[in-house]
Amino acid sequence: MAIRWPLLVRRTHKWLALLVGVQALLWTLTGLYMVVVHIDTIHGDHLVRAPVVEPFDLSGGLAPPSRIVAAASGASEIRLQRLFDRTVWRAETPDGPQLFDARSGVLLPALTAPQIREQARRIYTGDGKIVSVRLLTSAPQEMQSRKPPYWQVEFAGWNRPTLYLSPTTGELVSRRHALWRVFDFAWMLHIMDYDERTDVNNTLLRVATWSTFAMSLMGAWLLFWSFKRRKRKTA
Amino acid sequence: MKRIRLTPLFFRRIHKWVGLILGLQFLLWALSGSVMALLDKDKVGGHDAGVSHAHALPEGEYFDVAALPRGDKVTGLLLRDLGARPVYELSTSKGTRLVDAISGEDIRVDDEMARNVAAMMNEAPIRKVSLLAKPNLESRDHAGAMWRIDFRDGENSSAYVSLDTARFLVMRGDTWRTWDFFWMLHNMDYVNRKSFNHPLIIFVAFGVLWLSGTGFYLLFKSFSRTDFRWLRRRRKTVTQTALEN
Repeated sequence: MAIRWPLLVRRTHKWLALLVGVQALLWTLTGLYMVVVHIDTIHGDHLVRAPVVEPFDLSGGLAPPSRIVAAASGASEIRLQRLFDRTVWRAETPDGPQLFDARSGVLLPALTAPQIREQARRIYTGDGKIVSVRLLTSAPQEMQSRKPPYWQVEFAGWNRPTLYLSPTTGELVSRRHALWRVFDFAWMLHIMDYDERTDVNNTLLRVATWSTFAMSLMGAWLLFWSFKRRKRKTA
Repeated sequence: MKRIRLTPLFFRRIHKWVGLILGLQFLLWALSGSVMALLDKDKVGGHDAGVSHAHALPEGEYFDVAALPRGDKVTGLLLRDLGARPVYELSTSKGTRLVDAISGEDIRVDDEMARNVAAMMNEAPIRKVSLLAKPNLESRDHAGAMWRIDFRDGENSSAYVSLDTARFLVMRGDTWRTWDFFWMLHNMDYVNRKSFNHPLIIFVAFGVLWLSGTGFYLLFKSFSRTDFRWLRRRRKTVTQTALEN
């Protein structure tokens, strides 16, 4: 018996669609969200102020780098920066970053909660109130692989802006808000890694993507077949 | 004008016409998504280029920082290790300057130094070193002039090293290159391969939602009880055999 191709292809298209239909719908929905909301907005660039570039005065009075290197054991990099309006040396050590007063070379203590508040206020561009300030020792899901500890500063507002600051340097570690959280959820659905939300090579995704490719290929075949048939009929 | 009736036939027509106009992109999305899911993300790499070898700075005297500016406005200063020799990286209004942190001499990042920096990231023999005035597609996430160091290895790896700072920027191999081609098909930014927030993709994504939406709806209209007869029949035979035993 001759194989009736259109019927076979239509059936396969239909059954594959039954298998991946929900996922194909989710892909287009989450994909649309990800292309519509600009990635800079997702990253929260609009939530934070870029640090003001003010020249440093090196002409004298700075603690020499040798003293900082001796004090911060194992430091791989030291740099000048500012904390509030004071110049500091920042040392990158195996135990995380440390700050030293740039003039005296004295190790600065970790920031206090009120200092963190003030720092967050300076960084945040909005004018919503601070809702909570907490020092976290375990990473919340939204901080992914970033290693704690850090301060979590939440602001009031529909998008719940949240800044994460380093306890030793007051630097911005990361920022999160509602649109980012939705994006992250959409990304999870898009790559089908429901645990870590990072594995783009999981078997479920591989099976689903290739099945969808086969489904759409057959859809394309059916499309050309159905238009060609119409032409043959009218001729 | 004929009133539009929301019948399965109407949705089938939408499915067919959207499929005709935008179906090719759906097919390309499915294909590029499939390939990207297949390519090992560790071999693709590139996302965590920050893992470079950081040595501890040696203790001892360093060149006096007060002598560094030479009249320029200093917007940034850092001391770091460059292949076991400490260097100052000085940012001024005139650009970035690299200075030997012991002798105070200016350092020019020549091809020899670029080789050494790249060799710390890849042990394969170096095939070619070239200077780029601006980033290419492979190093598009970085700025400024840079060295490109090509290796003779299975991946045809290329390392990129900044001309200003001698910092290792990124490593790209053939797996990444394949990945990047399909990523371009996925994000539809055929020139820069970078943005996925441009009008074209927004328009097509919105249109394709109609393809998948009507397709999903049609699933409920295309299947009938008879399609699942084989399931019930098998279950029946299973229960029957169970009874007979």
